Amino acid sequence: MDYSMEDTQNSAPEAQQASKLNSSGQKSDTQSVTKRLQAELMQLMLSPSPGISAFPDADGNLLSWTATITGPTETPYEGLTLKLSFAFPNNYPYSPPTVLFKTPIYHPNVDFSGRICLDILKDKWSAVYNVSSVLLSLQSLLGEPNNASPLNAQAAELWDSDQAEFKRHVLARHQDLDDE
Amino acid sequence: MLSTVPLNVGRRRVCGSVFSPAALEAHPSNTTADSQREQTPVASFRESTDSSSTFKTDSQSTSFATIGGLTDAASPEEDTLNQARQTVKEFLSVPNLGFELLYSFRNTDGSQALKEWNRLSPPSKETTEALEYLMRTSPWTLFEWYGNDIRRHFLVNFRTGLSKMLNSTGEEDLLRTIVDCLQLARQIYLAPVVHYLLPLIATHHQGGGQLAQLQRAFHTVVQYSLPWKKISPLLARELTRDAAVILGIDALDEDSDADRMSLDGTEMERAYSVSYKEWRQESPEAQLHMMVEGEDDCVTFTRDRLLAFLDGLQLVGLGGDQAQKVFANVMNIMMGDFIRAAYAGEWQSPSTAPQHLEQWVENVYARLAAQVLAIIHSDPAGTQSGAMEVSLRDVEKWRAMGIARLGKLRVSELFDVVVDWPVSGGAVEDLRRFTNNSSGARMYVTHFFSINLLQRLLHPGASTVEILQVYISIIRAFHILDPKGVLLDRIARPIRRYLRDRDDTVKVIVSGLLADPATADGPTATGDNLAELAAELSKVHQHSMQNNRSELDYDDLYWLPDPVDAAPDYRKSKSADVIDSLVSLFDSKETFVKEMQTLLADRLIQKRQNYDQEITVLELLKIRFGDSALQACEVMLKDISDSRRLDLTVRNDQILSGYRKQAGVGKLHAKVLSRFFWPEFQEQEFKVPDEITKLQERYATCFEKRKDSRKLKWRNGLGQVTVELELENHTFTDEVTTWQATVIYAFQSDSSEPATRTIPELAEELEMTVPLVRSACLFWVSKRILTEVHRDTFRVLEILPTEDEEHHAHGTGDYSDGSDSEAGDTANAAAAAEAAAAAAAKESTEAAAMEKMNVHWQFIVGMLTNQGPMALNRIVMMLKIAVPGGFPFSNEELREFLSGMVSKGKLEIVNGGNYKIVH
Repeated sequence: MDYSMEDTQNSAPEAQQASKLNSSGQKSDTQSVTKRLQAELMQLMLSPSPGISAFPDADGNLLSWTATITGPTETPYEGLTLKLSFAFPNNYPYSPPTVLFKTPIYHPNVDFSGRICLDILKDKWSAVYNVSSVLLSLQSLLGEPNNASPLNAQAAELWDSDQAEFKRHVLARHQDLDDE
Repeated sequence: MLSTVPLNVGRRRVCGSVFSPAALEAHPSNTTADSQREQTPVASFRESTDSSSTFKTDSQSTSFATIGGLTDAASPEEDTLNQARQTVKEFLSVPNLGFELLYSFRNTDGSQALKEWNRLSPPSKETTEALEYLMRTSPWTLFEWYGNDIRRHFLVNFRTGLSKMLNSTGEEDLLRTIVDCLQLARQIYLAPVVHYLLPLIATHHQGGGQLAQLQRAFHTVVQYSLPWKKISPLLARELTRDAAVILGIDALDEDSDADRMSLDGTEMERAYSVSYKEWRQESPEAQLHMMVEGEDDCVTFTRDRLLAFLDGLQLVGLGGDQAQKVFANVMNIMMGDFIRAAYAGEWQSPSTAPQHLEQWVENVYARLAAQVLAIIHSDPAGTQSGAMEVSLRDVEKWRAMGIARLGKLRVSELFDVVVDWPVSGGAVEDLRRFTNNSSGARMYVTHFFSINLLQRLLHPGASTVEILQVYISIIRAFHILDPKGVLLDRIARPIRRYLRDRDDTVKVIVSGLLADPATADGPTATGDNLAELAAELSKVHQHSMQNNRSELDYDDLYWLPDPVDAAPDYRKSKSADVIDSLVSLFDSKETFVKEMQTLLADRLIQKRQNYDQEITVLELLKIRFGDSALQACEVMLKDISDSRRLDLTVRNDQILSGYRKQAGVGKLHAKVLSRFFWPEFQEQEFKVPDEITKLQERYATCFEKRKDSRKLKWRNGLGQVTVELELENHTFTDEVTTWQATVIYAFQSDSSEPATRTIPELAEELEMTVPLVRSACLFWVSKRILTEVHRDTFRVLEILPTEDEEHHAHGTGDYSDGSDSEAGDTANAAAAAEAAAAAAAKESTEAAAMEKMNVHWQFIVGMLTNQGPMALNRIVMMLKIAVPGGFPFSNEELREFLSGMVSKGKLEIVNGGNYKIVH
């Protein structure tokens, strides 16, 4: 009994210290992420690229963003507005953000819940990529799907065989998200 | 004394044989020769017994009952006793003469009154015998009866009059009169006792006791009839008046002093003075004696009068505890009054106020207190036991009290003291003593001062320069007050917070640093800049070099822990380094350096002989901030000195390569600035005259020859032009801005007719904005070169109108103020030119603000595109989070901007006031 008391007494501060260290480490991490994201945002704002746009969500911690891609001309997605969500991990930019299509989209590399199959969002991620480059890649992916590894096999097949039918599917699937 | 009972008994027997009953019976007719006199007391006695209230009859009967009870046993002796009593009673009883008579005698020595009341006539033989008899047998009962009689008589005769008097307000010496009357009454009551009764008492001690008993009786009835509630304010008034004179407070009041002088008519110099001002100027020895010796007649007189009055007060039974309380109250107020009168506004350094105060307390204050308390003591018996009423400890306490009061006074003055800093050093010394003495004082000082600051300084009415000025004074004053800096730390927080919110703080500080210290010799800076800072900068830099220790200096043998009352994030500031305090107002040096750059740029592009001042300041600042922070400024200065050299070479080249100065075209000097290191200039673009352009091109070629791969880009908006204008009957030579020169150049013409141009015409020709053209034209109007013939149409004023013509032109105005109107015209034009220039400047700043807003517009577009429609508040909130460095505009400004965007069709307002982007 006594021993155990002693034990807890001895161990308690250590544990506390450990947790403190941890939290402070986390904090500084979040700070650097925030700083990086703020810089990216500034860059996006100062030199906007046509057809893409992104902005943090209103929750205030900058770790989740919403992005908008306008469908590139001469693709089945021409004139469509596609919304995406970005969720940045705490160790961003050392890990890729989680990117999902919020707007329902018919695309060979996107499944029906919006998940994207893009190498730079998975194993090919590098810290030099940023929101803007991810969005540009996605924009080009719309015009040139990677049919070698489709998530939507039917779409991949249609893309190759019947562009008109593909476009019909795209338009049928597309549905503008209501602005809240 | 009681051991002599047998002797007493024996005497009584002897007395009894002498005191025959017959003699006593015959007494009424024999006691006094004057029958009228004889009758009056009897009659009045009867009357009084008839009219007396129950209280008196009761007491009388009880007293006699006791006497009767005591002497019940022996009837013949009782008889004798009764007769003796009767005789004595008649002798002692006071005639009921009423208050008015007493009042009329109040200012006499009393003998007349005593005669009037029949108190001086010696007792007849029988009475004496009766007295002696009674004194032997039962002196106590006799005195008891007399005490009752005094009470009865007083209540019947004097009480109503006195209370009437007490209720009549407004009379100056009311209390004195009352006391006089009471004293007289006391004399009347006690005179026969003192004169005739006491000598009969064998031993002195016993007599004293009996007199005291009578006195007590008198005091009781006085206190009963005159309620203390009414007496105490009167007494306080009386005491205040006299104490103010004795303590020297009235003399400190300059106005009353002057009054007194003029009243006296004599230029009586008051040698005796407690004035601090005069005291300071004396030598130390003289200071010692100043309050002890040479007391003024006026003071002496007042003192005697007061003491006599208090004597009387004590005698009639109004002294004692209650009077002491009133006195203590008055003295308390007096202390405050004196300190206020003597030391308010006396802030010279070194301060001797505490010494002066201590001396005053010891010699004047304590003296009066001792004198007064010796008279009004609480011991009713009035024993002069020799115990001092005022002990040394009391004096010590008063002294401490005085110092505390002085501190309080200084705290209340602190703001003015700080504003008047360096000349008010003495006050801070006083305050330091105060804060060192008591622990709560420090809290009090900061608390009080903070409130004061909020009320008097930190409001929109005070200019930033003023606030900074006061802040600097505060830093210096509080450094003296509390070298540790805890108090300053506490005080400075609200000021610093406030200063951070002010937009122009940096600007004021930087311009202060760059100001010419030669103009800041005096402690008071000129109204609109803090030139003092420049002097400060050169002064303290040595200190800052020495004191560059870090917090964790393990070799510091003089290390002390932070003071106990320091705030958690208190940082020890080693010196009263004003510059450091001001620069550390801002989170980073960058703000400061940026402002420094802007200001430096403005100053450097001006045409001047040398820039020594700027170089000095920069060097000094480098010590503080390090070289790297001020690199840009360094480059700026280098640019200027380089371009001077370059200018010389280029000009040489120009001359060598055969270009000659052409007639009518001026010289061109250039300053070559490295664009990257200079702040953005807000300038107005316009086209310079062709001649100038040619010169510029030539200059540029020379420059490019010298410096490979560098190109010159001309900033036409900056710089000065020396303009020489020759008109029909007047000339003009001055240095003006480039755009003003350009505009006037456009008026040049060879024809004899004065050139006339309109503003839109000029604006188009010169590619200049309309407000700027207008401003330039108005400037020339104010210089009497142009005249505005119609709105926006200007003509050269070739011939300066003479006075007469001027009057003619102003035909409507009357002739008398012609010159006035002319002067007024010029002034008006100058003002208009200024206003126009301001408008032009405003336009350019607005454009800059718009530029800034454009960045934010991108953010807003991004936000609204991705997050959908948003309300204004949300947009502002998001911008505050997302924009690095925060969002500098207010909600109103943003609303205006957004509504501008709505009208441009870039936004639309959807349901609920949300803004939505239009695709």
